Amino acid sequence: MPTVLHEERVNAPLGKVQLFRGGAGAPLVYLHSAGGEGAGLPVLEDLADDFEVIAPIFPGFGESEGIEEIDGMDDAVFHLLDLWQELGLVAPAVLGTSLGGWMALELATRYPERVSRMVLVNPVGIYLPDAPIAELFGRSPAELAEMLFVDQQHPIAAAMHAMEEFTGDVGKEVEIPIELVLPMWKALGATARLGWDPYLHDPKLRGRLRRITAPTLVVAGARDGLVPLAHAETYAAEIPDATLAVVEDAAHWLPLEQPAKLAKLTRGFISSV
Amino acid sequence: MRFFSFHLMPYIGLDPAYDGPAWVTCPNSLFDPRHGGELYNRYLDELLYAEELGFDGVCVNEHHQNAYGLMPSPNLMASILARQTTRAKVAVVGNALPLYDPPTRVAEEFALIDCLSGGRLIAGMVVGGGPEYYSFSVNPAYARERFQEAHDLILKAWTTPGPFEWVGKHYRIRYVNPWPRPVQQPHPEIWIPGAGSVETMEFVAKHHYAYMGIPYFHLDVFKRTFQMFRDACSAEGYEADPLQAGWLVPIYVAETDAQARREYEEHLWYFVKRLLPGITIQPPGYTSARSLANILKSAGTFMLNVTDWDEIVAGRYAIVGSPDTVTEQLTEALSQLGTGNLLGLFQIGSLPGDLTRRNLELFAHEVKPRLAAEFPEGSPVFRPTVAAA
Repeated sequence: MPTVLHEERVNAPLGKVQLFRGGAGAPLVYLHSAGGEGAGLPVLEDLADDFEVIAPIFPGFGESEGIEEIDGMDDAVFHLLDLWQELGLVAPAVLGTSLGGWMALELATRYPERVSRMVLVNPVGIYLPDAPIAELFGRSPAELAEMLFVDQQHPIAAAMHAMEEFTGDVGKEVEIPIELVLPMWKALGATARLGWDPYLHDPKLRGRLRRITAPTLVVAGARDGLVPLAHAETYAAEIPDATLAVVEDAAHWLPLEQPAKLAKLTRGFISSV
Repeated sequence: MRFFSFHLMPYIGLDPAYDGPAWVTCPNSLFDPRHGGELYNRYLDELLYAEELGFDGVCVNEHHQNAYGLMPSPNLMASILARQTTRAKVAVVGNALPLYDPPTRVAEEFALIDCLSGGRLIAGMVVGGGPEYYSFSVNPAYARERFQEAHDLILKAWTTPGPFEWVGKHYRIRYVNPWPRPVQQPHPEIWIPGAGSVETMEFVAKHHYAYMGIPYFHLDVFKRTFQMFRDACSAEGYEADPLQAGWLVPIYVAETDAQARREYEEHLWYFVKRLLPGITIQPPGYTSARSLANILKSAGTFMLNVTDWDEIVAGRYAIVGSPDTVTEQLTEALSQLGTGNLLGLFQIGSLPGDLTRRNLELFAHEVKPRLAAEFPEGSPVFRPTVAAA
């Protein structure tokens, strides 16, 4: 029986933060991907049966303010610490997807004591010369859908295919209402602030993985078209207390495509340690 | 009216088997260095010829890693032109400021060109095209911020005695003290090219600079753009001078309309179909939400979407015809746009040297004098009612 999450606003030092919260139990913070997902996510409603799920939207995404003050992962980490403070969180469990997984890693390497458990889904954040992360920027929604989903009939994938023409290319005629493309436009702009150069990684992060103390589960979509499996394997090997779970029939946006499997893995992992 | 001859210096002879974009990822194995050297020399000669024919100035611009325009450093070209011309303005339109780190490099090189030319430089400053942010990996989310700060630094370097220290968000320089300094005081004339970003227009209006409309859109887009620019000047409390605006447009003149089209059309399509693809990519964070709406409004009319000659003519994507036709169409368009600078692209796509030179000659002898009489310098250009009559 899924628990509905309610939308709230929290005042953080950088501005108002839009967040979704529901359920009761130990706190579990969800950090979203470059897609800015949060509202009505089935995986979170599922987990809210057992946890107090809190899904803050990062500045520059959705309706959260303050991206002008975020110039890199340093600022992102301080923003998370500020949020922990506002929400009265000491060391919550964190579930992070892709960009959100990277933020969780930056927090857990710098302030290991502020994260109790970590579930990372297809995280970005390191550079592997033999397994580079594919190009995220400058893609049409249809191309992105191919990387993010196994099943192109998934409602979100199908909606992205419907926006096929839109790349933000000023030379292409598109018949798409601006209201539909603006959220994606904003989300990619905010992502660029953090991950344009170096491209979706922090050169220092890999050497710092040894500092993480939280038991960590790395979840990889077997058919991720953006981040090669070698990344999940590297995190699992180099984070001191980490295990790897590979989900078949999942690509990069695993939380959207396999919500039940991710909820089960997360629940099992957090209650086992 | 001031008349400029603008050159993109395109790559002619792109492998017909290649059908990808001309930008960012267009393989540089397709560039033949000896052929490239011939093109550079030919194109420089065409600009020198424009001065000889009485143009007020010549223009070069900056693009990287592409077949559309082969000037990664327009300042190299401008320094040659500064040395080999004697009278014409040398307009660099412009340097993509966010790509120069530190941007005092721009202050130095522009000042050098101004010295070399005896004060004939027009200093263009531009945010840089979308593809450039892929080619340089400079973060597009900071394009506007870096442009703004680099501009402030360059202007201060030109107008405040050095040395001074610069401590900004993007640039920190302990000793700013560029040698040489520009001849023109307090600084060279500044042009800013723009593609419809509201922020750019407001910036140009605020500083009383000149706004150059980036080409290849339907004439209606330029009408809207230059009206927005005049409005931005009004919002700053003054009326825009015609010399504060420039329209860049491909022009081709031959003896008759039929001959002009016959000689020109295939070379224009080479430009549209081979050199334009890839130019319009918008990296994330490069355009504000406010400007995205304005830019998307124009997107459908971008020349890449044009496949038919009649559309080229109707939208005034290029002004092509006999001296009478070209004069008439330019008079009408300029009256509607109100721009006091006409920047003609007299070479485009694969247009060969002999046709380019004859085009320049016919324009200089048969069109330019009539336009100059129609739009004397110092009098208003914007005359929508005249155009309608």
